[in-house]
Amino acid sequence: MIASVVATLEGPPNATARLLSSLRALPGVETGPFDETTRRLPITIESPTPMALEETTRHLRECRGVAFVDVVFVHFETEPEHPEADFR
Amino acid sequence: MGNGETPAIDVIQRRQFMKATAMAAATAVAGGPPYALPVLADEPADGAEGVEWNKAPCRFCGTGCHVQVGVQGGKVVAVAGDRNAEVNKGLLCVKGYHVGSALYGSDRLTKPLLRDGDGYREISWQEAIKTIADRVEAAPERFAFYGSGQWTIPEGYAAQKFMKGGLANNHIDPNARLCMASAVTGFLATYGVDEPAGCYDDLDACDVLIMWGNNPAEMHPVLFSRVVDRRSRGEQITLIDISTRRTRTTEACQHYLEMRGHGDLAIANGVAHLLIKNGTYDREFVESYCNFKVPDDANPNLHGKPISFDEYKKQLEPYTPEHVEELSGVPADQIRMLGDLFGNPDLKITSLWCMGMNQHTRGTAINTLVHGIHLLSGHFGTPGDAPTSLTGQPSACGTVREVGTLAHTLPGGRVVANEAHRQQTEEFWNLPAGRINATPGFHTVKMWESFCTPTDQGGEIGTIWVQVTNPGQTLPNLNKLFNPKGKRDAGLADKFLIVSDVYPTATTRLADLILPSAMWVEKNGIFGNSERRTQQWFKMVDPPGDARDDCWQTIAVAHELFERGLKGMADRDGRFLFEQKQDDQPVPIWEWEHYYDINVDEGLFEEYRQFTRMKHKDLAPYVEYVNTRGMRWPVVEKDGTWKETRLRFSEGYDPYVEEGRGVQFYHSPTDDDRAQIWFQPWVPPAEVPDEEYPFMLCTGRVLEHWHTGTMTRRIPQLNRAMPGGYLEMNEADAAAHDLENGDQVKIESRRGSLVMPIWIHGRGQPPEGTVFIPFFDETVLVNDLTLDAIDPFSKQPDYKKSAVRIKKVS
Repeated sequence: MIASVVATLEGPPNATARLLSSLRALPGVETGPFDETTRRLPITIESPTPMALEETTRHLRECRGVAFVDVVFVHFETEPEHPEADFR
Repeated sequence: MGNGETPAIDVIQRRQFMKATAMAAATAVAGGPPYALPVLADEPADGAEGVEWNKAPCRFCGTGCHVQVGVQGGKVVAVAGDRNAEVNKGLLCVKGYHVGSALYGSDRLTKPLLRDGDGYREISWQEAIKTIADRVEAAPERFAFYGSGQWTIPEGYAAQKFMKGGLANNHIDPNARLCMASAVTGFLATYGVDEPAGCYDDLDACDVLIMWGNNPAEMHPVLFSRVVDRRSRGEQITLIDISTRRTRTTEACQHYLEMRGHGDLAIANGVAHLLIKNGTYDREFVESYCNFKVPDDANPNLHGKPISFDEYKKQLEPYTPEHVEELSGVPADQIRMLGDLFGNPDLKITSLWCMGMNQHTRGTAINTLVHGIHLLSGHFGTPGDAPTSLTGQPSACGTVREVGTLAHTLPGGRVVANEAHRQQTEEFWNLPAGRINATPGFHTVKMWESFCTPTDQGGEIGTIWVQVTNPGQTLPNLNKLFNPKGKRDAGLADKFLIVSDVYPTATTRLADLILPSAMWVEKNGIFGNSERRTQQWFKMVDPPGDARDDCWQTIAVAHELFERGLKGMADRDGRFLFEQKQDDQPVPIWEWEHYYDINVDEGLFEEYRQFTRMKHKDLAPYVEYVNTRGMRWPVVEKDGTWKETRLRFSEGYDPYVEEGRGVQFYHSPTDDDRAQIWFQPWVPPAEVPDEEYPFMLCTGRVLEHWHTGTMTRRIPQLNRAMPGGYLEMNEADAAAHDLENGDQVKIESRRGSLVMPIWIHGRGQPPEGTVFIPFFDETVLVNDLTLDAIDPFSKQPDYKKSAVRIKKVS
């Protein structure tokens, strides 16, 4: 399962820097370049199951300093090595 | 899995590709500009492994986000926000994120099912169609059709033509009666024509955004994020939440005005009072473009009685900030704050509303009042200055309000009671003169009340065919309007319920005949969203089993009746009502095998398009929508190009405004190009808490589930995030009743009862004396409790104010 989201961040620069560090430390999460103008951060999430993907997205949404999380892309085709993920 | 010889490498390469694609999509959206980048389908196909991308509007709410749908091996395998879509600029909410999965719940309906004792037996489509035709033929006047704002435009148009043109029967109504009928009557009473003058662009231009009983952070999150995003970039924008409970929207707002039910009527009057008292109303705008009205109590109608400005001013005199505080519970200072904002001509103010103002026994009144304060203050007609209603369903505007699938309407803003409108419709449909019935059919509440009343006690409706909706969960007061159908001693054995749907629902459990339907990209479609945008998509995958398009089902029944000689199914030349030709030869579209030989949607849409010009809701040819992410009507051809309209009634934006007029309300109900500013008095709700039932119950939606959850509860991630219904309660009320988080409580109203857990400090926070229950959970039907009182004009029920009592269940 691979998805990408855009997180809109708010708060002072030092808090944003700390937030970026903590987001980058999350398992399965990769961040793209933070756009200072739009305050938007592109993020990809890779996870073994749809449930885990949803958990990570929810965690992002609840992080202090994250104003909003919008989803941009999701590939939900089941990977054969993860049959437990076959929710269809 | 590629060629199967090197699966590990294949999987890694595919994952890397998908990840790179995902990051590219997110980076493009994050960095903008949103229109500078190609859609995914135009990107290099290397590694795409045969995923074919195409566009479609999202299946869920009325926002009308466009998604890119990735199909591989006959299945939807990916979705992406569509960067070419102006509505969502590449973004999706959590529901849109999972929209592809909504097709693949394990319990999709795949065969027609006919009730057989306490169970069902599978039948053929042929038998199903004949069964419906038998019911219609036996008593066409007792047949009713119940649809929704999830009907595509061609589906709704076909159902409308089948009923009003074919059966001369106006008993067709949509569930949109339950969600936006009061917005319609509000627009008609104010401007003489339905639907907002503004559009989503106002969200990018406004300085102040006021949410009137509206929670867009959960219900229209992509629109709300558009505004939050502006603030995150450092723009100054004031967000104001006027509501009966704190929600996620409240958290993002600078001002929260907590009101009691019906407080909105007082607040709007209070703002108007201050604008006049302070001399800050827009005198020039009002004198140039507005009239004043009051309700005509002796003869209630949407025209009311004209009054002078001085009479209007006198009516508002009692609505001082202090009096408004008494009526609404909102502190006088906050009323003054609102009055000052509206009185400032340098600000751009947009109002948004949805169910809070519409599901209201004074829904028409509060809609006219909010339009009125925008008109009175001159905050109208330029980008960012707009009173805009939102819809909850993807085509509530397109299919219900524009096609006219309400019991009293005809396509394109016509009504059955108007002889000229009937004649025009008969002409477009090539029907014999006098075919269309002049008497409006039963609105939703009346239709279901009639269905649940025994025939020998006056229950005129004998058969209802339900498509794309779930009245067994959404009707108010279910124990009166739906549940009797399931009771053996209710005297309803002769009544027959037909339900077309994609999954088993609270409605199918009482159905006599269940028909499996295709959904979303399993069929062609056209939706019309909240901002007058018409959006088209093509079928991308096959429906499962024997599931078939709703539109085909309607046409197949119509043709069966035509074959049996039912006169109404033929036009005045004896041709089948839904005849479509290819190479001048009729195509048997009533046979499923031939339904997709031609584009039936295109044929129906082009026929419907003729109706749209009378009310200046002009649509472009079908093919123009194929190549766009929708266009906002009126769409008018100029210099060989079809141009959409961002703002109605404003010169320079609306092609129908005459040069030099500035603002022209060219469908004015007073025929003088003016809008109507109404005075409407505050009145209490239809039911208020008392000693016996001390709490006010409000119902509503949650982020994770779309309406009754029939689709989103099949998506495990969403269902796990929000697995069941609950009662939100204030901490002080809970303590007073010795209740703790998770305790099971029995909630009783005068109409029913249910048991569920309570949630304190949950998603929302109601004030003392108020509780909230979402309606998505079919295992605890909150509408067993709700009141079926309706607005006198829109006939829309109030789901937000029912008195209840609460007891702990040991």
